[in-house]
Amino acid sequence: MANMNLYSRGDKTFVIINMVLIGIFTLSTLYPFVYITAMSFSSGFAATAGKVVLTPVQATAEAYNYILSDRMFWVSYGNTFIYTIGGTLMSLAFLIPGAYALSRPQLYGRRFWNLIVAFTMWFNAGLIPFFLNMRDLGLLDSYFGIIIGFAVNGFNLILLRNFFEGVPSSFEEAARMDGANDFQVLWKVYVPLAKPAIATVALFCMVARWNGFFWAMVLLQDEDKIPLQVYLRHTIATLSDDPEFTATQLNASYSFETVSAAIIVCSIIPVLIIYPFIQKYFEKGILLGGVKE
Amino acid sequence: MSGVKLDSIVKAYGALQVVHGIDLNVNEKEFVVLVGPSGCGKSTTLRMIAGLEEISDGQLTIDGRVMNRVAPKDRDVAMVFQNYALYPHLNVADNIAFGLRIRKESAKTIDASIEEVGNILGLTEYMDRRPADLSGGQRQRVAMGRAIVRRPKVFLFDEPLSNLDAKLRTQMRAEIKRLHKRLGATSIYVTHDQVEAMTLADRIVVMNDGRIEQIGTPMELFLNPANAFVAGFLGAPPMNQITATIADGGNGPVAEFPGGSLALAPLPDLQNAVGKSVIVGIRPEYAQTVTEPGPGSVSCDLDLVETLGSEALLHMSLGNKPFVIRTETLGNIARLNSVNGFTADPELIKVFDADTGLALSGQTRAA
Ligand SMILES: Nc1ncnc2c1ncn2[C@@H]1O[C@H](COP(=O)(O)OP(=O)(O)O)[C@@H](O)[C@H]1O
Ligand SMILES: [Mg+2]
Repeated sequence: MANMNLYSRGDKTFVIINMVLIGIFTLSTLYPFVYITAMSFSSGFAATAGKVVLTPVQATAEAYNYILSDRMFWVSYGNTFIYTIGGTLMSLAFLIPGAYALSRPQLYGRRFWNLIVAFTMWFNAGLIPFFLNMRDLGLLDSYFGIIIGFAVNGFNLILLRNFFEGVPSSFEEAARMDGANDFQVLWKVYVPLAKPAIATVALFCMVARWNGFFWAMVLLQDEDKIPLQVYLRHTIATLSDDPEFTATQLNASYSFETVSAAIIVCSIIPVLIIYPFIQKYFEKGILLGGVKE
Repeated sequence: MSGVKLDSIVKAYGALQVVHGIDLNVNEKEFVVLVGPSGCGKSTTLRMIAGLEEISDGQLTIDGRVMNRVAPKDRDVAMVFQNYALYPHLNVADNIAFGLRIRKESAKTIDASIEEVGNILGLTEYMDRRPADLSGGQRQRVAMGRAIVRRPKVFLFDEPLSNLDAKLRTQMRAEIKRLHKRLGATSIYVTHDQVEAMTLADRIVVMNDGRIEQIGTPMELFLNPANAFVAGFLGAPPMNQITATIADGGNGPVAEFPGGSLALAPLPDLQNAVGKSVIVGIRPEYAQTVTEPGPGSVSCDLDLVETLGSEALLHMSLGNKPFVIRTETLGNIARLNSVNGFTADPELIKVFDADTGLALSGQTRAA
């Protein structure tokens, strides 16, 4: 065994370099999480003085006390759930049938429709026209406006369409021979087959919704409708301008840095909880075995 | 009457016509095999019957009803696909039941049907497995189960065995035949494998280049091919074809070719064709070996002997063209290496017009 050598020296170097690069990349992605978590459990004084590097300094949960007792934190948290769940479901409701239709060779004017979708990936109308458009449709300041306004995204649509295109047409044909109509072919055959792709797209939608900030800030005036990310920004803005906050800062058990960090940690937790459940769909395609490979 | 009738069926993709007017009557309970080289339009024809391809022209009737514009699900036909197309997310039982559930059959009917089909196809033990966990032969059976469970009027098969290895293919071939005997359903079966065609068919339809070359029972086609294409397509190894000219041999027509001549059957069609260029067809099985060529035999050189067991293939050169003879080995093996010619029964020699490829010798032998 000792002199069994399946890898040449060059191969070994290559593997080692890869491991080092992956290691650096992993650490650089992981560090912000660690930093923010440490910050959220540190005292306001330590945070403001820039003493937090890796672990909490003068550990305290005061920042959490502060935000968890703020009504707006809970309202915005709830809103983020509404936007994320509602938005993802709305997206899937459009993306699945849309992508399926675009993938069918028999779709009339298929090239044209696909071109229109691709067009939106390169060009968009811009901030002001979009805002005016939403205003004229009466979709400002409404849950529904946020949910429907950003339901379809060209990239996700094309991603899913490509997956559907890759499914051998004999599945559709077999289902048709079995008596299925278009809707049943999609729902009972293609959707189950596309689970991994749908999970991917759903995760993209969820993450985008969860982190969605800019348009919510632009389109929502009503405080009771804002999502967590907008609340986070409000908090940072209010606290950093608050003279009382700055005045008491030297012996403060929390500061706007630790409060912001605590909000960020709270907003990351649900994603961490959900991810393992979705991950199993990424592992391998389900297509194996249905057709002779 | 669950017959299928194709009347001048045409398929064109845009300007490209790939099926040029097919006429075919499949009788109730008949097993018809469409056979031909790859790309000749077999699948297209079958898919038009299934309703998966639009019919460009002509008329399709199933059970006396015109089906051109009827949706696949309303044609009461079932199809077994080459790649099986089993639903990978469903287990065997659910795969088989899929069509029944779509058609909203009662749970009781569905359970009974699954059980029956499971028994017929020997799938009872595998009902809970997903397709990924089945062997090729088992998947093939599930695909058949999905077709037979609905008791359709017509079964369509598109090269259902071509993904199996040779041994399994032979086994499944016999199983399909048995199943057809048992269920007696009208079946149309597509293959490019002439052995499958010969063994399964009540009648074979030989196709080439979007047209039907000949329709008949396996033995009719084997013994009396209508043209050189059919002659070359059916039978393994294929029929030897020698370019020749018909001459008057005194007491009957003879075929003369570089390296020899052969007496032909005294048919009027051949007698009247003296001077014509023809192709002479001799099946490897119907050539008799000789070791001392004399009058009436053709001499040729032995290149190679392939021993298959009970039979041997002798690869000869006639002029410089290959000529294959299939012969028994028993009690014969010692002299095989000294074979240097052959004779052939005039009744078993086929003659085809060299220009049109059509048979000149008519029906010389009854099946
Ligand atoms: N969708 C299509 N568009 C254009 N030509 C096609 C299409 N499908 C099949 N063909 C052509 O039709 C001919 C017959 O095909 P097919 O019926 O599949 O042959 P096979 O006898 O091997 O089953 C082939 O030449 C093929 O290239
Ligand atoms: Mg084919």
